[in-house]
Amino acid sequence: MRTADRLVRRAVRHGGPWLGVLTLTSLLGALMELALPFALGRAVDALVAGGPVNGPWPVTCAVVVIVGAACDVAGVRAAGESGARVTRRIRLRLLRYVLGTGPAMTRRFPEGELVTRMGVNAEEVGHAPESIVTGAALAVPTAGGLVALTLIDPWLTLTLLAALVLIALVLRAFLRATTTIAAGYQEAQGDIAARLVDALAGARTIAAAGTADRERDRVLTSLPRLRRHALDMWRANARAGVRAGAVIPLLEVAVLGVGGLRLASGDLTVGELYAAARYAALGAGLGSALGYVNRLARARAAAARVVGLLTERPVAYGELPLPAGPGTLELRGVTAGGLRGIDLLVPGGSSVAVVGRSGSGKSLLAALAGRLTDPDRGEVLLDGVPLRRLSAGALGRAVGYAFERPVLVGDTIADAVGLGRDTPDRGAVHAAARAACADAFVRRLPRGYDTPPQEAPMSGGERQRLGLARAFAHGERLLVLDDATSSLDTVTERQVGQALSGELGGRTRLIVAHRAATAAAADRVVWLDGGRVRAYGAHAALWRDPGYRAVFQATRRPAPPPGDVPPPPTPTSGDTPSADVTPPDVTPPHVPVPAVPARRSAP
Amino acid sequence: MSRRGRARRANRPIRRALCRDPRLLLRLGAWSLAETAPALVAGLAIARAIDEGFAAGRPGTGFAWLAVLGGAWLVAAAGARQVVLAVASIVEPFREELLRHVVESALRRSATTGRDPGAAAVARSNIQVELARDALASVITVVRSFAFTAVSVLVGLAGLVPQVLVLVLPPLAAGLGMFLLSLPALARRQRDFIVADERTAASLALMAGGLRDITATRSAGRVADRVGRRVGEQARAERSLARVSALRTASLTVGGGLPVLLILAGTPWLLRQGAGAGTILGALVYVTQSLAPSLGNLVQGLGMSGVRLRVSLERILGSGEPYRPEGRRVPPEAGIDLRDVRFAYGPHAEPVISGLELSVPAGDHLAVVGPSGIGKSTLAALVTGLLTPDAGRVLIGGVPADRVAPACRVLIPQESYVFRGSLLENLTYLAPAASPGAVDDAVAAVGLDALVARLGGYSAEIHSGLLSPGERQLVALARAYLTPARLVVLDEATCHLDPAAEARAEEAFARRGGTLVVIAHRLTSALRARRILVMDGTSVHLGGHGELLASCPAYADLAGHWNPLDAQELVP
Repeated sequence: MRTADRLVRRAVRHGGPWLGVLTLTSLLGALMELALPFALGRAVDALVAGGPVNGPWPVTCAVVVIVGAACDVAGVRAAGESGARVTRRIRLRLLRYVLGTGPAMTRRFPEGELVTRMGVNAEEVGHAPESIVTGAALAVPTAGGLVALTLIDPWLTLTLLAALVLIALVLRAFLRATTTIAAGYQEAQGDIAARLVDALAGARTIAAAGTADRERDRVLTSLPRLRRHALDMWRANARAGVRAGAVIPLLEVAVLGVGGLRLASGDLTVGELYAAARYAALGAGLGSALGYVNRLARARAAAARVVGLLTERPVAYGELPLPAGPGTLELRGVTAGGLRGIDLLVPGGSSVAVVGRSGSGKSLLAALAGRLTDPDRGEVLLDGVPLRRLSAGALGRAVGYAFERPVLVGDTIADAVGLGRDTPDRGAVHAAARAACADAFVRRLPRGYDTPPQEAPMSGGERQRLGLARAFAHGERLLVLDDATSSLDTVTERQVGQALSGELGGRTRLIVAHRAATAAAADRVVWLDGGRVRAYGAHAALWRDPGYRAVFQATRRPAPPPGDVPPPPTPTSGDTPSADVTPPDVTPPHVPVPAVPARRSAP
Repeated sequence: MSRRGRARRANRPIRRALCRDPRLLLRLGAWSLAETAPALVAGLAIARAIDEGFAAGRPGTGFAWLAVLGGAWLVAAAGARQVVLAVASIVEPFREELLRHVVESALRRSATTGRDPGAAAVARSNIQVELARDALASVITVVRSFAFTAVSVLVGLAGLVPQVLVLVLPPLAAGLGMFLLSLPALARRQRDFIVADERTAASLALMAGGLRDITATRSAGRVADRVGRRVGEQARAERSLARVSALRTASLTVGGGLPVLLILAGTPWLLRQGAGAGTILGALVYVTQSLAPSLGNLVQGLGMSGVRLRVSLERILGSGEPYRPEGRRVPPEAGIDLRDVRFAYGPHAEPVISGLELSVPAGDHLAVVGPSGIGKSTLAALVTGLLTPDAGRVLIGGVPADRVAPACRVLIPQESYVFRGSLLENLTYLAPAASPGAVDDAVAAVGLDALVARLGGYSAEIHSGLLSPGERQLVALARAYLTPARLVVLDEATCHLDPAAEARAEEAFARRGGTLVVIAHRLTSALRARRILVMDGTSVHLGGHGELLASCPAYADLAGHWNPLDAQELVP
């Protein structure tokens, strides 16, 4: 909590001149509020006694009203200005921090949590200075009101305090009641949402069957229940509001009664009686002043949540550019997560498939290869330079990543594909999209390449193709494909494979593969098992190992019928597990496809 | 749509909510009178209590007047409770109407775009509905409260000392006028702020979801700039809102503060007219305790909730009026005719289908093949009337496809729909009158019997999470088999089945009769069809398997590389 308080203190320091204005106007305004009943009372007394309209008390009243109003006006503006300023500052800092830390952040905090902390919580902290000032200023009229009332008559104060206790009890009872009602309400809401989510998944069925009206009714089955719970909440609300609302005025009436007796006995003037009644009301406002304490507690909790984001360490980049080279990737004694002591040399321009049962560390290896994550021990080098020492720009130009479920970040499709490039030019984006077989479907989107990704209806396969295009637009030297073609149909996958070995063939390719065909198409295969490299060689050679073949059966989803295991590939150019680099223009061997009809007839 | 048009549409549900039941409004009015009773009597009671009671040495009279005041507060308490309930019974039906609209338009939109907006979008629209309801309740409450309080106070003042109205009315009118004049600017700023806030949240969400991809493209700096711009815009919107809100506060001073000073200034004059000290006090009580707070609530409430209500309603209704199907017809037979059909997903998009001519006679069995994303599902949507062509005609038995009665055709998409309910309800969804025998036949025909046995009969309660994707597809197939529809379109409806199960299901549909269109997931589906339509992006070819192998290179290419094993792995 101490670091959270430091954040709040810093927020106060960064409030700027407007926070000063707010402090000044809040205090002054509070004093005016406190002074007004007294001044009004005096003025009435003076005027009734035949005093002049421009006498000291009426003039004081005018000053108090005008200064108070000016304070209100300036305070509203100052609160908004300083809150906006501090919130912006905190958000920008969080933004740089979270983006600098990268995926490590998402591993610790779910996405929704990140958004809440950077959004709502940052705003609460940003407005914490305002809460402190306003809360503190509110203490002036409430505490002052009680003091003034006590000066007029201590018995009135005691009556007031008794009533305040009453209000607190009422409010507590209200809170207890609403939590149970709210649970039923949220349940009904949840039921409607769940049914709607179900129905949306079947929207095409529903539209074709013309049953939208029936579905609407089915989704809204819980509507009567929702209304019942909602009305219960309104009733509870009404009850508590009424009790709390009636107590203060009744109290004021009591104060007026006691004060009236003293007026009759000549101990109190009419003006003082008025002041006493107003001070009773002001003093009773203690409840809302306590509300500010609550707000401050919330801001403190929010600050703790914001500070929680700042515990991860952002990725530090080096300064080095990348020297000329073929894109040789080397892992030296790399240990990270489940991987232990990995040594691997991927020759520049070659393609290497990474295979292994699920959980064997394939994706982790892919993440290490392009510095999506850093190893605990060991070093990853690209053309002889440790990745840690490369600048962000050099790394971004050299390495391109494609994922199974790419997230498209950008205002338009073109923007998302060219993301991170210094000069995103259309030609390069289109070429990358063509290589990924994405060009044709992008052109058919409502606004072509200018379609915002969120508005583009895309299947998993289409999304993957854009992810591939993005990788092609980036990775001038190394392409890392982490299960990036799993949703493509075989025809498209074959075309992408041709592009990878053809126009993109000069780049080093590291491909996490689940299909035997993909592994067969690579120059070499890294077989991961139990956190180590079990074998590194050509697919055709490895295929003789039943354990290697079992990898592809185990990772299949769903398990294939027994007859459907792909046959070993026919080696086309000898199966010596060589370290040489395949010339870029040689098409990798394909798994031969058996004649379709013969294989389909019976299981 | 124009701003004005949007505003008009947003007003409609509000008007309906208010006019739904005039008796509710009467009830609301009656209880509002009770609620504002103190505003009517407070000043008068205090003035009389002092002038005729305590100050005149008659404490009994003073207490009597205070008792009247206390009684008014108790009446007000009862009234306030009833007012809340009356407001609730206006806004709850309002919420239900909005919720109904959200559900309807979400279903319709995702049906036409073929895109599931997902649980998050559903949650977002639910929040908008709640916000709209709360905002409407708040607007009704403050506007009504101000109107009744102002009238009560003015009547009370008139009863106390009518001359004082001269001192109170003009500044009140001026303050109210100032506020109403500033309202449009305030509403604009408030709206900008809400929009900026939503945009910031959206860009933060996109960023949080894409952290891995942002790091992979080393575009953190660029994204930080972009999201930072949103953050800056929001801060600017908040500051500009604060400036206008400050002006709004000034109107409060004129309307609520100035009358106090004017009453003081007019005190000698009022005293000359015969008012007592208590009367002056009473007038001050009216203004400071009733009029000023209710004006403050109005200014605060209308400025904030009114705009919130408008924005939420525009978000909810933005998707347009729910579409109402009209003039559905039953075609005499189920042959398909496409004449020079063109379809694109937007005016700036390249067409997915262009100049397509296709004639499928009733009872034919057609398979459609081609790489993914080539427009096969679009064709299925055109044939079943989910989409209408930009040019050309799509006819089913001579009737435009979008006018065909839904019962005459059935589409089974890749993502099969299973809802919470019994297995029987799910099976008879499109044929509620199906006999038990017919259900048994359908179950046996598509090969669902194993699942029925596993679940323990038709009465088992199911939901989509309970079944595997393949089982869900079998349920959808049996459901379609049961319908009397003469046109069946299977849009990769068997992709999660193994090849043998797929063959069994497709053969069942071929035997069932009627026109059958199969968007093929595996080439084997094409081999079972009588004719095959090949779509390869630039042209289409129609023919039998052997014929196409010889004449259509695109088909030969597909046949050569359509790896059935891998195709099965396609995840939707």
